Amino acid sequence: MIASAYAATAEHAAAGSGMPQFEPSVFQHQIVWSIASFFVLLYLLKKYVLPPIEKILDERGGKIRSDLEAAEKSRLEADKIRQDVQRQLAAARRLAEQTVEEARLEAAKYRDLARESLTQELAKKKSVALAEIDAAKRAAVAELHDAVVDIAMLATEKLIAKSMNKNDVSKVVQEAVTAIQANPGKLQ
Amino acid sequence: MDATAAALIGMGLAALGFAGSGVGLGVLFGKAIEAIARQPAAEAQLAKYIWIGMAFVEAVALYGLVVAFIIMGKA
Amino acid sequence: MTATAPVVAAAAPKMDPLHHFHVTKYLDFDYLGIDVAISNSVLWMWIAAGLVLLFFHLAFKNPRIVPGRLQSLGEAGYLFIRGIVDDIVGEKGRPFFPYIFTLFFFILFCNLAGLIPGSFTVTSQLIVTATFSLTIVGFSFAYGFYLHGTHYFKFFVPTGVPVLLMPLMIPIEIISFLARPVSLAVRLFANMTAGHTMLAVMFLYVVTLPWWGAWVPFGFTVIFTGVEIFIGFIQAYIFTILTCVYINDSIHMH
Repeated sequence: MIASAYAATAEHAAAGSGMPQFEPSVFQHQIVWSIASFFVLLYLLKKYVLPPIEKILDERGGKIRSDLEAAEKSRLEADKIRQDVQRQLAAARRLAEQTVEEARLEAAKYRDLARESLTQELAKKKSVALAEIDAAKRAAVAELHDAVVDIAMLATEKLIAKSMNKNDVSKVVQEAVTAIQANPGKLQ
Repeated sequence: MDATAAALIGMGLAALGFAGSGVGLGVLFGKAIEAIARQPAAEAQLAKYIWIGMAFVEAVALYGLVVAFIIMGKA
Repeated sequence: MTATAPVVAAAAPKMDPLHHFHVTKYLDFDYLGIDVAISNSVLWMWIAAGLVLLFFHLAFKNPRIVPGRLQSLGEAGYLFIRGIVDDIVGEKGRPFFPYIFTLFFFILFCNLAGLIPGSFTVTSQLIVTATFSLTIVGFSFAYGFYLHGTHYFKFFVPTGVPVLLMPLMIPIEIISFLARPVSLAVRLFANMTAGHTMLAVMFLYVVTLPWWGAWVPFGFTVIFTGVEIFIGFIQAYIFTILTCVYINDSIHMH
């Protein structure tokens, strides 16, 4: 530019001091070539430049879209997994509660059972004891009865041996009856 | 006055057109700054119109320059 | 004018900041009466187009899902134009996307390639920008006519205006329509020309001033080159946006 600013020669001075742009002799070829250059450039850009740009932009758009979709899908999946885990957790909790409840119930059952068996045993033991007491009483009564009979027989033998008369017998019987009446429980 | 001198005066007068462009640029950027001060969020949107407007306003001054050059050719 | 030129100025190189806009024909060709010469303008058109292709070739040499630096830039460029087309024209603008994409990158790389020292700025040629703008506006008109038939002439009749004002409004609408290609072409051409002229003037000061003064314009050129990169981008953007607006007008009318 420096050089061109310098180089004002006579040749250009002769061509006129106006703007070189208004020199009509250089118009035609510039019109032709600017249109030609434009369309050649257009053809080349359209053929070799625009398709790869559009391709890469579409690709990127597609990739972004697919990435977004994948992210959405994995989000949904994570959601599902989370729900699954929650469900499993809830199930486990329920199971644990159930187990605890069952254990509690079983323990209660065992306790009741134990109590019942204890009661039963106690009752049995009591009844056995009662029966034993009863039997002992019976045995004692029987023994007493036998003893009374023996005594009576002995007394009778002695009386018979003495050949007792009617008054004597009556007296003995009266005595016996009186004894019995005085203490009736002794015979029972 | 010979024709050359008249042409030179004419060229100088053509350069007066720059005054209009100067006023235009002042108004343009003054208003633009005012608008941005009022609404700083709109700056990016306004900037586009500011540059387009600047190119239009500047072109007016350059028409004057072209006129001056045309006169220069006649001198 | 020349009679009173100071001695210093006479000793200095003659100032011609417009010199680098001269089109020099390298090879003269003639095809069926049409001038198809190869000039520096044409050469730099091809270089810019080649740079566009090179850029996208490098960016998408082995495209990956997770883009590298250059690929990100290429994709950002693609999505940028896609956004413009979708925002302004909408669904019906899809068929025009390759054209607008090519237009933006061709103009952008012409603008940027022009900043290379010793290069030629194709977009600083009015005839080139005019060719583009006339083609675009002509196409949008033809396309609107193709889509809407004679109904398309309603385009020039503003709505909500009293009938009495119609004789005034319709010519204004027609003139504003005809001004479209002119303003579109002149905007790009003037921006590029002005920026490069400014740089040329500053460089001239760099070489004419003594060393202790030269750094001021030199520093200015450094900063201004950055500004020029920005302007090159903005102008390509504006050109593209207006193209979309014109196409949208012919599709949807207003």
